[in-house]
Amino acid sequence: MKTQHHSAEDDAMMAKVARLVNELDPPPAGLIERAQFAIAIDDIDVEAARWADARPLAGVRSGAPGTITFFVGDLTVMVNVTRTGERHRIDGWLVPAGEHGVEVRVADHGSTETTADEGGRFVLTEVPRGTTQILVRMKADRPRTVVTPTVVL
Amino acid sequence: MTELRTASMSPPWEGLEGRDRYAACLVAARSGDRRALDVLVAELTPLVWHVARGNGLDRSTAEDVVQTVWLALLRHLDRLTEPRALVGWLITTTRREANRTRRRGTTNVELPPELAEQLPGGDGLPEPEVLRDERDRQLWAAFHRLPQRCQELLRMTVLAGRVEYRAVAEAMHMPHGSIGPTRGRCLSSLRSLYDGEAGR
Repeated sequence: MKTQHHSAEDDAMMAKVARLVNELDPPPAGLIERAQFAIAIDDIDVEAARWADARPLAGVRSGAPGTITFFVGDLTVMVNVTRTGERHRIDGWLVPAGEHGVEVRVADHGSTETTADEGGRFVLTEVPRGTTQILVRMKADRPRTVVTPTVVL
Repeated sequence: MTELRTASMSPPWEGLEGRDRYAACLVAARSGDRRALDVLVAELTPLVWHVARGNGLDRSTAEDVVQTVWLALLRHLDRLTEPRALVGWLITTTRREANRTRRRGTTNVELPPELAEQLPGGDGLPEPEVLRDERDRQLWAAFHRLPQRCQELLRMTVLAGRVEYRAVAEAMHMPHGSIGPTRGRCLSSLRSLYDGEAGR
């Protein structure tokens, strides 16, 4: 039973751990750029939505993700993504329903805006593919802006 | 005069390091300097990433948590009373978010097998072929059997130089002086696990 410090041994072990951590588990390529894109928004007072499920696909690997659900507090954002040629059609549904503003940002492609109908539904067609983020500006007594993490669509 | 002009045009964090640099970025970000935020994201994302991974999140979940933490900073820009404590705030926020996400993340989606095969394991171990060296494989497996707190501490230690011990200690609710000894105990545990893996 070793109780004293073996600092040379520790240093050697630490060096091995450092090498493995850096080589095998670095931040994913492009994560910094995606995070920079995610926060490059005019709204400051935003609430970050979270994925409602264990993610079926990683952001960078997803090809045609189908339905994605985000939530924050009492707001749920459900979107269904359909590929239309080189672009996407996004069908969305917001709960609680309301004529909330919806903005879809795609890196290097600007953004597309629409307003949900009374039932909380919205449709965006011809959305370019790429690193995508959805913002919902809630029309409520207390206006709020909710943003999703980026997802590569 | 030329010197003055140059000084006023170079960003306020230029030439600074560590917490002074991050504090200068934070202050500049508050006054609307977007470059300052980009610098923080570029330089501190590795820290946020390793705290998330050290708290048991798989790589894709950790990726979302990194973004969530930066969005949280955006919201809290004006509320951080001590800019020099940014690193500690980031660690604390990441741990909280990771724990919240982990508690919730047990509902698995049924996936077609061809997709399921592409997913990383729940233990976050990388593809085996990456680990060509058998000793590396054993050490990496041993590392993942350490208590979470050890994994987290060792990962943060790997980033030392960029991260201050003091901030790490505060965020982990440990006395500053106990980081070293705790790290030593974690490395001892790792050695034992590694020897076990290697059947020595």
